[in-house]
Amino acid sequence: MNKNDYRDMWVYIEHDGAAVHPVSLELCCEIRKIADAAGEKLAAVLVGELPEAELEKVLDCGVEKLIRVSGTGYDEFNVDAYTELFTVLCRKYLPTAVFVGGTIRGRDFAPRFACRLPTGCTSDATELVYDAKTGDIEFIEPAVGGKMMAVITVPVMRPQVGTIRPGTFKYLPTGKRPCETIEERVDFPIEQIRTKIVSFERDEQDDSLNIADAEVIVCVGNAVRADSLPKYRQLAARLGGKLACTRPVFDRGLLPFKLVIGQSGTVVKPRLLLSFGVSGAVNHVTGITDSEKIVAINNDADAAIFHYCDYGIVGDMDEVCEALLSMLEA
Amino acid sequence: MLNILVCVKQVPDVNLVKIDPETGSLIRAGVPAILNPHDENALEAAVQMKERYGGSVTCITMGPDQAAEALRECLAAGADRAVLLSDRAFANADTLATSYVIATAAKLLGSFDLIFCGKESLDGATGQMASQLAERFDASQLSCVLEILSLDEKSRTLTAKRELENGMETACAAWPCLMTVEKTNYRARIPNLKSWKASRKAELLSFNSRSIPGLDPEQIGDPGSPTKVPRTYPPVVGERGQMLDEGSVDRTVDKLLGLLADVL
Repeated sequence: MNKNDYRDMWVYIEHDGAAVHPVSLELCCEIRKIADAAGEKLAAVLVGELPEAELEKVLDCGVEKLIRVSGTGYDEFNVDAYTELFTVLCRKYLPTAVFVGGTIRGRDFAPRFACRLPTGCTSDATELVYDAKTGDIEFIEPAVGGKMMAVITVPVMRPQVGTIRPGTFKYLPTGKRPCETIEERVDFPIEQIRTKIVSFERDEQDDSLNIADAEVIVCVGNAVRADSLPKYRQLAARLGGKLACTRPVFDRGLLPFKLVIGQSGTVVKPRLLLSFGVSGAVNHVTGITDSEKIVAINNDADAAIFHYCDYGIVGDMDEVCEALLSMLEA
Repeated sequence: MLNILVCVKQVPDVNLVKIDPETGSLIRAGVPAILNPHDENALEAAVQMKERYGGSVTCITMGPDQAAEALRECLAAGADRAVLLSDRAFANADTLATSYVIATAAKLLGSFDLIFCGKESLDGATGQMASQLAERFDASQLSCVLEILSLDEKSRTLTAKRELENGMETACAAWPCLMTVEKTNYRARIPNLKSWKASRKAELLSFNSRSIPGLDPEQIGDPGSPTKVPRTYPPVVGERGQMLDEGSVDRTVDKLLGLLADVL
């Protein structure tokens, strides 16, 4: 494999026919920067049809090539057709890198086409750096439960495949560039799709579970006692905000996954985040860094969370919560 | 009779791992190795399928000799046989090389109808093994399975409910099918004393790189791993925030509310 034969950095545009998934736009913006550093073109891979206004959002990120794919087998997402499609496209166009949003779909098919090609695949990088010396992308990500950061590279194989979690990068479009459109027809035989969707039941919209846009968040960490939860719910309500938690609280079965803040959960950007009994593991902290003000309460004076907060209180989380409640009532 | 495979991994209990502040490397000494928690749920799903439909459950792992302990845990919790793939030549494998070794060895043991693995490991946490194992086994693939509703041996398909980001999908998949499951319905069972005792004495099957026929040395271990980790470092942490302590909780909270006046 000669790395010089490979060109362009690709972003897979995930969409539901009506709107582009935010992660694809975030990736277009971030990969725009990496492509500029590498002197490469940014290409977007779009399968199926998208309303004009949504397509404009993609192009507005400075996309220079749009690969529009049509064909059989893609109407409903399925791993079989999408794996084969990306294998075929990568073999034909030889991109240096392919980025896919770290949604359930993306995480289902990206490692699989990387395996089929074969090439290296990374997941959940929180930072991307182009190394001009080697021509490789450094995928930097928290490892070992966030206790260290690891730099991952794919030094020999191409393309470099990466899945990136929603919310990791920002959607800050830098404007349109001249863009070439390539039409591709790739048919996947429908009878070779091995998974069929029988039915889909959309979750009822429960606004209390939508923490991504909350202005005020009360977040409880693993130190929370199950019987204390109502206090924190009450505090969140009193502040006009929402209750959220860290991953271990979900693992204990206390709160639903939609309330988990962090890399594998939701990235939040509230005006105020009150963090109770949270240790401050990197995987969680990557989800809170866009908060305007962070207050941390923890009984461990050495807890890492104090390095990420504006104000810190060493003390019993329940006592502080109760004091806040009584003073806010007054 | 169903032939079921569960791919598992022994991991260090990362909650107890410390980092050497000088070198940025892991201090593994004294850290207990455990069966990867998500793999317990994968195993439980497999054992429930066996109990409901009949068949046998094989668990397989690649790792050092000590990983035999994780396999014994699987046997105690309902697996029928266990396979250890251990060789220095397997070291430093990424998910591509690991999935290759596991699938190549497993194919020696027969063909599997259902394959389960944990959704991610506690230490590597790439979450890529399921997809890449599915590819290696040429299996259909269902992630995030909340509940396996039914199996149909005639059509060799299964129907399962998946918990996706915005709703619940019911999907039908052809065998062989590789699944990752959610914990909700597949919590690890506590082995009884009898099965625990039996697991201590059970024979494990083991293979090394030379006893797996046709294994390509270029596709295993470090040479077979396209992803590399050129360096690691401790997370960069900023200065501590302003610590508040006014002598009592009430006074400290009062001070805090004053500081937050503009955002409240």
